Amino acid sequence: MSGTFSIAIDLLLNSLVLSGVFLIVAMGLNIIYGLSRIMNMSHGALYAVGAYIGYSLVATGVNYFAALIITPILVGIIGLLIERTIILPMRKRSMVYTLILTYGLMFFLDGMIKHIWGNRPRFIELPEFMQGMISILGTQYPVYRLMTLFMIAAIMIALMLLLSKTKAGIIMRAASTIPEMVSCMGINMSYVHMGAFMLGCAMAGAAGIIAGPLTTIDPLMGGEMLISSFVVVVIGGLGSLRGAVIAAILIGFVQTFTEFFITDLAMVIVFIMMAVILAFMPRGLLGEGKFE
Amino acid sequence: MGELLCTENVCCHFGGVMATDNVCFRVNQNGLTSIIGPNGAGKTTFINIVTGKINASAGKIIFKEKDITNKSPHELVKMGICRTFQINSLFQNLSVFENLRIARQAMHGGSLRLFSSKQSLKAVTQDTWAMLEKLGLKEMAARPAKNLAYGDQRVLEVAIAMAGDPKILFLDEPTAGMSPAETLHISKMIKELAKDICVVLVEHDMDMVMSISDRITVLQNGGIISEGTPEEIRNNQQVREAYLGKEE
Amino acid sequence: MNSTTSIPGISKRFYPLKIFAVILILCSLALFPFISDNRFYISLITEMMIYGLLAMSLDVLLGYTGLLSFMHNTYMGICAYAVGLFLIHISPTSLWLACFAGVVFTSLVALPVGWVQVRTGGLAFALLTLAFGMMFYTIVWKWYAVTGGDDGLMGMPNPDITLFGWHLGSSSDPVNIYLFTLTVVTICFFLTRRIINSPFGAVLEAIRENEDRASFVGINVRRYKLLGWMLACILASIAGALFILYKGYIGPSTMSAFAGAGVLMMVLLGGMGSLWGAFAGAFIFIYIQDYISTMTEHWEIFLGLFVIFLVLFLPTGFAGLGDYFKRFRKA
Repeated sequence: MSGTFSIAIDLLLNSLVLSGVFLIVAMGLNIIYGLSRIMNMSHGALYAVGAYIGYSLVATGVNYFAALIITPILVGIIGLLIERTIILPMRKRSMVYTLILTYGLMFFLDGMIKHIWGNRPRFIELPEFMQGMISILGTQYPVYRLMTLFMIAAIMIALMLLLSKTKAGIIMRAASTIPEMVSCMGINMSYVHMGAFMLGCAMAGAAGIIAGPLTTIDPLMGGEMLISSFVVVVIGGLGSLRGAVIAAILIGFVQTFTEFFITDLAMVIVFIMMAVILAFMPRGLLGEGKFE
Repeated sequence: MGELLCTENVCCHFGGVMATDNVCFRVNQNGLTSIIGPNGAGKTTFINIVTGKINASAGKIIFKEKDITNKSPHELVKMGICRTFQINSLFQNLSVFENLRIARQAMHGGSLRLFSSKQSLKAVTQDTWAMLEKLGLKEMAARPAKNLAYGDQRVLEVAIAMAGDPKILFLDEPTAGMSPAETLHISKMIKELAKDICVVLVEHDMDMVMSISDRITVLQNGGIISEGTPEEIRNNQQVREAYLGKEE
Repeated sequence: MNSTTSIPGISKRFYPLKIFAVILILCSLALFPFISDNRFYISLITEMMIYGLLAMSLDVLLGYTGLLSFMHNTYMGICAYAVGLFLIHISPTSLWLACFAGVVFTSLVALPVGWVQVRTGGLAFALLTLAFGMMFYTIVWKWYAVTGGDDGLMGMPNPDITLFGWHLGSSSDPVNIYLFTLTVVTICFFLTRRIINSPFGAVLEAIRENEDRASFVGINVRRYKLLGWMLACILASIAGALFILYKGYIGPSTMSAFAGAGVLMMVLLGGMGSLWGAFAGAFIFIYIQDYISTMTEHWEIFLGLFVIFLVLFLPTGFAGLGDYFKRFRKA
C-alpha cells in the first residue's frame, strides 16, 4: 500500500514540476503575443539555448546559482538582437510572415546548437547538496526537483510584482489592451515591444536552465517544448495569462500521468484532449483567447 | 402589412454590464427606422445580436414569424438579413467587381461548382454589372477595393450588403467619416432603398436621421427609452435628457 | 455587356506565349528521359515534381484560403504509409486500388482534424497544424509494429503500372515512375487551376481576404474552410502515393516538422497564391538542398537563414518577381 502511496506522491510532485516549466515557457510566449501579436516559433529553441548556455557556464566552473541569473540575461540579450534585427522590420506585415520568419529562426538556432554543442546529450552538474534525496511523507524525492518548484514560484511572483507594481509592468499591461492609447501618451511602443520580447526570451532561458538538470539536454528538447507550450497557450487561450496557469497545470498533470501509465503515446492523449477542448471552447478554457 | 422582424426582451451582458437590456424592437416590411442614442447606448451591440455576430443572453428574435435567435450570420443572410459595418469591412485585395460578385454568388448559389469557371454563373455576373452601373462604381470595377477613395469604399460596403437581396438591411453608421457631399449621396441612396425593403439605420448625424427616417428608436444604457416619428422624438423630454443631461 | 476588357474574373485574355511556354515545358519534361540517360537527374526531377505537387497543395491552403499549415507533409506521409501498407499486406499488385485506398484513408484522417482546426482562428489554426502534425509524427515513430518505427516501411513490392488492362511497365524502372509522376502531377495541376478559378475558388479567396465579412455575405465560412482543407489534403495525399512509388520506402523523417518547413519554404520561394510558383519553388528548393547537403551537414542553419532572408527581402517569392519586373517596365 505504501508503495502505491509513494508513487502517487512522486507523480503529484513530478506533475507540478512539469506544469511549472510549461508555465514559465508559456508565459513568455503569451507576454510576447499579448503585447506585440507575434507568435514566437523559436521560443522552444531559445529554451534549449538557455539549457545549453547553462550547461556551458556550469561546465566552465561558474557557480550554479550564478548561472541561474546569468543565463536568462544572456538569452534576453539574444532576444534583443533578434528583435532589433529581424522582427522589427516585420511589425507592419501580416502575421503569417512573422510566424514563418520565427519558424526559420527556430531552424537556424537548432542548427547552431548542433553546430556548437553537437548531437551528444549533456548534463548540468549540480552542486553537491542538491543532488541528494529528501523524504516527503515517507517518499524519497530528489532535492533538486523540489527546489525547481521554489524557483518557479519565485519567478512567477517576481513576474506578478513586475506586472502589477513597476511602471514598466503597468505600461506593458496597458499596451496589451490599447496600444494606440499608450503610444499617444508619449511612450515609444517600439521599446515596449522590445522589452516584451526580451522578457519573454529571458523567461524561456530561465526555464531552460531550471529544466536542464531534470532531463538530459539534447537538440530535440526545444522542439518538444515548443509543441507543449503551444498546447498550453492554445488551451489556455492565446494571450491569456490566467488561462495559461490553468492550462499548464492541466497539461503537466495529464502528461505526467499518461506517461506513467501508457508511456509512448502520452503526447497523443494530450493532443486529443486539446482537440476536444478546442472543439467546444475555441477561445480556450477561460474564453479569453485573442485570435487575430 | 405585418411585422417583418421583432425582438422580444432581448438581453446581452458582458460580464456585469448590460449592453442590451430587454429590448423589444419591431419593424415593418419597408420603410426606414433609425436607432439613435448616446455613445455606449448599445446600438451596435443590438445590431450584432440581431445579425448573429454575437449571441443574445436571453430573449427571442422573430423574423417573418420564425425564431432566428442566435443563428449564425450566414444563415441569417440567406434568410434576407444583411448588414454593413461601422468600420469598412471589404475584401481588400479583390477587385470591386469581385467584391460584389462573391456576395451575389453566395446568395445565388453554385459556390460548390468545383470544375466550372466563375464566368459560368451568368446570372451572377449580369446582376453584378447591373449593380455596379446603378451605384456608379462601374468605372472602378477592376480596381482592388483597397485602392478606392474612402467614400467609394463606404458605398461599396453598402453595395456588398445589398447584393445579398436583403429583406431587412442594417446599416451601422454608413456616413461615418464622410464629407457632407458624400453624406448626401449616401442618404439619397438609403432613402431609395427604403422604398422597397426595410432599412434599419444607426447614425450619429442628427440632421440626416431627422430628415429621412420614418420612425426613430432611442436607446440608452442598453434599453429603449423612446420610439416614434422624428417629430415626436424631437419633442420628447426623456430623449433630450438622455442627450443633454437633466436640467437641475 | 461589351465592356468586358480586362476586368479580373470576367474575361481571360488569351496568352499565346503562356500556352506555348507551358507546352514547351511539358514536352521537354516528357522527352527528357528519352534524351538523357542520367538516372540521377531523372530521379531528382521526379522528386521535384512530387514536392511541387505537395507545395501546390499547401499553396491552395496558404495562398488561396489564407490558412497556414506548418506540417502539410504529414498528409503526404500518412498516404505514403497507407499505400505502402496496402501493397505489402493486402495486395502487392493492385496499384490503383492501393492509391485509392491511401487517398481515402488520408481523407478520413484529415476530416476530423480539419473539423477541429477550422473552429479556431487563423493563428490557432497554424499552431494546431503543428500539434497534430507532431502527433502523427509521434505515432508513426513509436508504432514500431505497423510502421517500422525509425527504420521506416521496408519491403515495398513493385506493382506494375497498368491502365484499363493496358500494361505500361513496372514501377521498378525510374523512367516509368518519372512518366507516371509527370502525368499525374500535370493532371492535378490543371484540375487545381480549374478549381481555383471556379466559383468555389472565389469563395476561398473571399475567406482569405476577410473571414468576418465572408460570413456576412452568406458564406458558411467553417464549411468552406473545411472543404479547402480537404482539397489541400487530398492533393497532398496524391503526392504521398507518388512519393512511395518513387522511393519504394517511407520513413518518419518525411513527416517531420523539419520537412514541413521545407514545404513551406517552397511555397514562399515560389510566391504565395501562385500555383506554378509552387512548382518553381519546389524545383529551386530541392536543387539547392541537394547541392548544399553534399557540402555541409548543417543544412538546418542554411534552411533557417534562407527562410529569414526570403521573408525579409522577397516576401512575394519567385512568382512576385515577374510582377515586379512588369511594373518596372511600365514605369
